Amino acid sequence: MCLAGALALYGASVAAQGTFEPEQISKGAAIFARNCAPCHGPRMVDPQSAFDLRKFPPDEKTRFVNVLMRGKNAMPPLGGLFGTEEIDALWAYVVAGEKR
Amino acid sequence: MTRYLSSLGFLLLLACAGAVSAQTLDELRNDGKNTDNVLTYGMGYHLNRYSALNLINKTTVKRLVPVWNLSLDNRWGEQAQPLVYNGVMYVTNARWTVAIDVATGQQIWRTEVDWLPETPRVVCCGVSNKGPALYNGKVFRTTLDAYVVALDQKTGKQLWKSKAADWTEGYSMTMAPLVANGVLLTGISGAEFGIRGFIDGWDPDTGRHLWRRYTTAAPGEPGGDTWPPNDSYKNGGASTWITGSYDPDLDLVYWGTGNAGPWNPEPRGKLDNLYVASILAVRPKTGQIVWHYQATPNDPYDWDACWELILGDLKVDGQNRKVVMQLNRNGFLYVIDRANGKLLSAKPFEKVSWATHVDMTTGRPVESEQGQKVRAYEWIEKWPGTRGAKNWAHAAFNPNTGLLYANTMHAARMYRLLPVEPFKAGQRYMFMEAKDPENRPADLPWGHFQAIDPMTAQPRWQMPLADFPHWSAVLATGGGLLFTGKMTGEFIAVDAETGKTLWQFKTGSGVNSQPITWTRNGKQYVTVLSGLGGLGEIVNRQKLGNVPQGGSVWTFALID
Repeated sequence: MCLAGALALYGASVAAQGTFEPEQISKGAAIFARNCAPCHGPRMVDPQSAFDLRKFPPDEKTRFVNVLMRGKNAMPPLGGLFGTEEIDALWAYVVAGEKR
Repeated sequence: MTRYLSSLGFLLLLACAGAVSAQTLDELRNDGKNTDNVLTYGMGYHLNRYSALNLINKTTVKRLVPVWNLSLDNRWGEQAQPLVYNGVMYVTNARWTVAIDVATGQQIWRTEVDWLPETPRVVCCGVSNKGPALYNGKVFRTTLDAYVVALDQKTGKQLWKSKAADWTEGYSMTMAPLVANGVLLTGISGAEFGIRGFIDGWDPDTGRHLWRRYTTAAPGEPGGDTWPPNDSYKNGGASTWITGSYDPDLDLVYWGTGNAGPWNPEPRGKLDNLYVASILAVRPKTGQIVWHYQATPNDPYDWDACWELILGDLKVDGQNRKVVMQLNRNGFLYVIDRANGKLLSAKPFEKVSWATHVDMTTGRPVESEQGQKVRAYEWIEKWPGTRGAKNWAHAAFNPNTGLLYANTMHAARMYRLLPVEPFKAGQRYMFMEAKDPENRPADLPWGHFQAIDPMTAQPRWQMPLADFPHWSAVLATGGGLLFTGKMTGEFIAVDAETGKTLWQFKTGSGVNSQPITWTRNGKQYVTVLSGLGGLGEIVNRQKLGNVPQGGSVWTFALID
């Protein structure tokens, strides 16, 4: 129920995406470096084992949030680990944090 | 006649007692003498992974063929060493414990291991399990979400389940338990998530917790002054994720500890941080540390000292010494007197850039200039790479040749530390980044399969591995053979004298597990699990695109 609600909320906010604040991007970068880089590569470069996030479609935030919260293939569900703000920051970093 | 009958009666009584009571401590201690059984992780308390069996040998191995295969219905990867007792094989992975009839390959029972789908988020290096332990009619195993479980050997029914730690705080378990002097010992994983490592002792009958030996020293404890006056020891790592060896005569268990947490040593100060990256000699009844040797003080590199601690008898300076040997992740091969912890040899078996040598007077590594650079947050090209000069894939030791046989790594990593943030339960606690160097020559092997002299650390022969290092343990036999596996699925037999591949069989997935050999009705068999998984799969997943996942057990014998 909680997950469904959160997902619906993200769905609604997809239309509003576009530009990101630098603070949000740098917050996302820190979360990424700590938790995601071990598989997805430092600053999304050299993802030896995982999906190359530089190729993630920037118009598919719902999909991004779904995978993050529910997991996919070898990626475990991280839904309980991050709050809404942190997930938004991660999305900002993935879309706009590095050269694509 | 009466005397004869009474002797016969006594013998019958002995035979019945043996059949009823299942494994005794004596059977565990003598594992290898009755080749119908494989009762311990490492094929003996000494972790030699050596069997004297020689029916399958350099001449006959060309007739080696599969006799049965059983699916393990598991996509997470197979790393386990099976055990065999009285015609039944016991196999574990992250999902199942399985009992198999060794004669036919038929599954007798299987028991599911239930953990929440979120659990893998605290597992750094592959959702897997390294194997069971057997004792007194029970099968013991650990679970991904940090429980220790006992099952009935006959039925697979759970007899007890004890919680070692809370997985949401970063703790997980993949290692095989050890039964030593009547105590069930387990370790713990999670040094990438800010855990405080420990070894636990359990009552095998009831699952009652007997003792815990934390592997980071608190203030006031011996070694407590090797941590700064803060709480860093509480998240200091020193996990214990590979099963120890045991010397029943000395009644000492030898157990290695993992890397420090976080990898960035900043919160840990410029102190040694006992007992991270160390080898411990522990009393199995109490958990008391009798001696320790720290391979990498202050560890800023992820230099686990967890790898198999192989027991052997070596001639050192003309004297026979009972030693414990380890091919450490940090690139040095340590030989230590296992009675007193005295360092006898510490020579590099791979390219090492982080230290120039080990000072044999102090027993400490002498760090190169990279030690200062890395602590100043500069990039370094680190040899060995972050996966080590050798990873967990266990080496074998043949007591007759006195040689170690190991799968080693040959790769650097560009490496630098990142600023440390506060500990958050369940999140990574590492603070570093790493990548492959850009200038790596294309023809440089990624690793070697090799025979190594323990005292010189020099190879007798090397098999260069061009595509992937091996992530499989080694089995050595009296037939002059070494068995190991490849990530691409080939299970291979190699001439132990020359390193030449004599035989191979392509299994259905990658082989990153632990082969065993055993007998039934006087015939020799070899068993290995196939099923891509573990860190070797994680770091090579894209390159391994055409090797499917999926676990199974393969058993081989000579065709008549």
